[in-house]
Amino acid sequence: MRSPRSKFVWLLRKELRELVASRAWWIMLIAMGPLVGVSFISAVRTYAEASGLNGTAAGVGEAFSPLVGVWAPTFSACELAAAFLLPFVAIRLVSGDRQSGALKLELQHPMPALVRILAKGLVLLAGWMVALAAGGVAIVLWRSYGGSAYPPELATVVLGHVLNAGLTIALAAATASVTEHPSTAAILTLGVTVGTWIVNFVAAVEGGIWERAAGYTPTAIVAELQHGLIRLDVVLVVAALIACGLVLSAIWTRLGIPVRRRAYESAALGALTAAAILACTFATPSWDMSENRMNSFSEADELALERIHAPLRIEAHLAPEDPRRADLEQHALSKLRRVLPRTEVRYVSATSIGLFEQTSAHYGEIQYDLGGRKAVSHLTTAEGVLETIYDLAGIAPPTEADDVFRGHPLAVPPKGAGTVFYGIWPAVIIAAAFFSRRVRGPL
Amino acid sequence: MFGLEVHHLTKRYRRLTALADVSFTVRPGEIIGLIGPNGSGKTTLFECLAGILPSDDGTVTQGGRPLAPGERSAALFYVPDGIAPWPSQTVRWALDFTIGFFGGREDLRDEVVRRLDLEPFLDAAIGTLSKGQKKRAVLAIGLLAPQPLLLADEPFDGLDLRQTREVAATLRAYAAGGRTLFLSIHQINDAARICDRFVLLSGGRVCGEGTIDELSALAGARGASVRGGDLEEVFLALT
Repeated sequence: MRSPRSKFVWLLRKELRELVASRAWWIMLIAMGPLVGVSFISAVRTYAEASGLNGTAAGVGEAFSPLVGVWAPTFSACELAAAFLLPFVAIRLVSGDRQSGALKLELQHPMPALVRILAKGLVLLAGWMVALAAGGVAIVLWRSYGGSAYPPELATVVLGHVLNAGLTIALAAATASVTEHPSTAAILTLGVTVGTWIVNFVAAVEGGIWERAAGYTPTAIVAELQHGLIRLDVVLVVAALIACGLVLSAIWTRLGIPVRRRAYESAALGALTAAAILACTFATPSWDMSENRMNSFSEADELALERIHAPLRIEAHLAPEDPRRADLEQHALSKLRRVLPRTEVRYVSATSIGLFEQTSAHYGEIQYDLGGRKAVSHLTTAEGVLETIYDLAGIAPPTEADDVFRGHPLAVPPKGAGTVFYGIWPAVIIAAAFFSRRVRGPL
Repeated sequence: MFGLEVHHLTKRYRRLTALADVSFTVRPGEIIGLIGPNGSGKTTLFECLAGILPSDDGTVTQGGRPLAPGERSAALFYVPDGIAPWPSQTVRWALDFTIGFFGGREDLRDEVVRRLDLEPFLDAAIGTLSKGQKKRAVLAIGLLAPQPLLLADEPFDGLDLRQTREVAATLRAYAAGGRTLFLSIHQINDAARICDRFVLLSGGRVCGEGTIDELSALAGARGASVRGGDLEEVFLALT
């Protein structure tokens, strides 16, 4: 009698059993409690102090949003775990089959290699979601303190960490399949992670194409989503990179295919992914999921800007490390691009820090060209940029609306969080690990 | 009943030729032994046949029809030597997985467990088993696999004399039931006890193929003096 379950279900269950048997996963789970805990406790304490706790000036926290004040720092612990713990869990699950010889047996099943890798990827993602439960505990604690939680922005933060984990899993799967030994795979994976940090650093100094590339590094992706902004191009690029990593892993687990052919297939995959990423960067839709619309102009400004149909060109004479450039980009241009996707921005500078360019002609200028009408300004604030554009477009600035976000101040210390994250969480995980080894369940 | 013809199989590792123009036939329902010293290419040959190692040249056919590496999984199952697959999982689960994932024969499960004496450690993790226990567990996986041809690399390695005889008897029983067995065996005496025919491999080349009598005759034809029926003498004369 043949088993009625589908082969893929058998494979999923096998991968799940292997994950549960993996010490690396349990260690990651144990570490998640204190990691999230220390971030959460520190964030809630700061938030409380800014909201008027312990005699600090009450009212400062009125502009505070839990997204920036609590969720971004709390969930940043997950970024750390994704960079330094998750790769080992993924490498263990992918390399384990090769090390034990199970791969030689499993390769004799006609199931496509990509399906096998997909099963591993899904199980690893499920394992990561369990780890993210530490963040869920933080949300429950915050609500128990009387804190406000805005589900769309919380979901966006979680999406960022799921996408980041997907990238890590795909990268680790690829390195584990390409290399013979898990330690080599670990070095390669961490090497790529460090490489993305270098790209961020170079981008901050050099600007230009580096700056554009740095927008798609895991750090930048997580940072953007932690601020409640979902950009379609970013999501598509991440999806393309995840698919590339998984397919690369599948290519290199097919031990029966000559190495040369696998190398050609990998090169073709690289070219295809590069083309796909390039195409994805032209996708312009984005969604601001933050409660305080921190990634958007006011609704009145957006309505006014939507009336502008002429192409807008901006040439900013600011060096990459000039703080005014960061102000301009973060507070004005990033919001402007969301309303006017055809906006073309060009930065001009002869040096990286701009210190010795201050006396140069035009340095510090922001030159606008709206359908042939031109203006020059030195203002880098959102208000300054909008004013210039309205002048050029001949549109009256909208009146300020009253529905300004007032924030959710909360002057409550993180009571009981230490016990939960440093005591109960590790104890529960250790008990679960022990129980899973004693009872080999029906998986 | 399943047979196989191997034609001019060649495998190179850069400048080292592991298999050179290897050709032989596996007849349906027989137990054929692949005999050769360490490094003669036995494992490489099995892995090339199973399609988990690419060969540089040669073809594998069944009844004259070429079998591409991707098609061989339907025809043959290879049990590697020295592996401990899924080391954290129990033997019981590994057998269930073989039946569920590879489409193994559930009706044979209890019989295989009994014949290979696996009952005492069905609930032990594979990674915790002794070498001989692991070998029997992996052989059980091979015997449960549904493919008509089973390739087993060193099936007696790690087994004591009694276990070797019991496993040999088990393999014979399955061959009698219609399964074709191709066994790579390091110990020539073990091979002589169980196999119907032999392929002698040395330095990646086939030095002879046939029954002991046929190989003795071949050795005689090459001018060697071989005592009747002694596979060791025949092997030494032909390699």
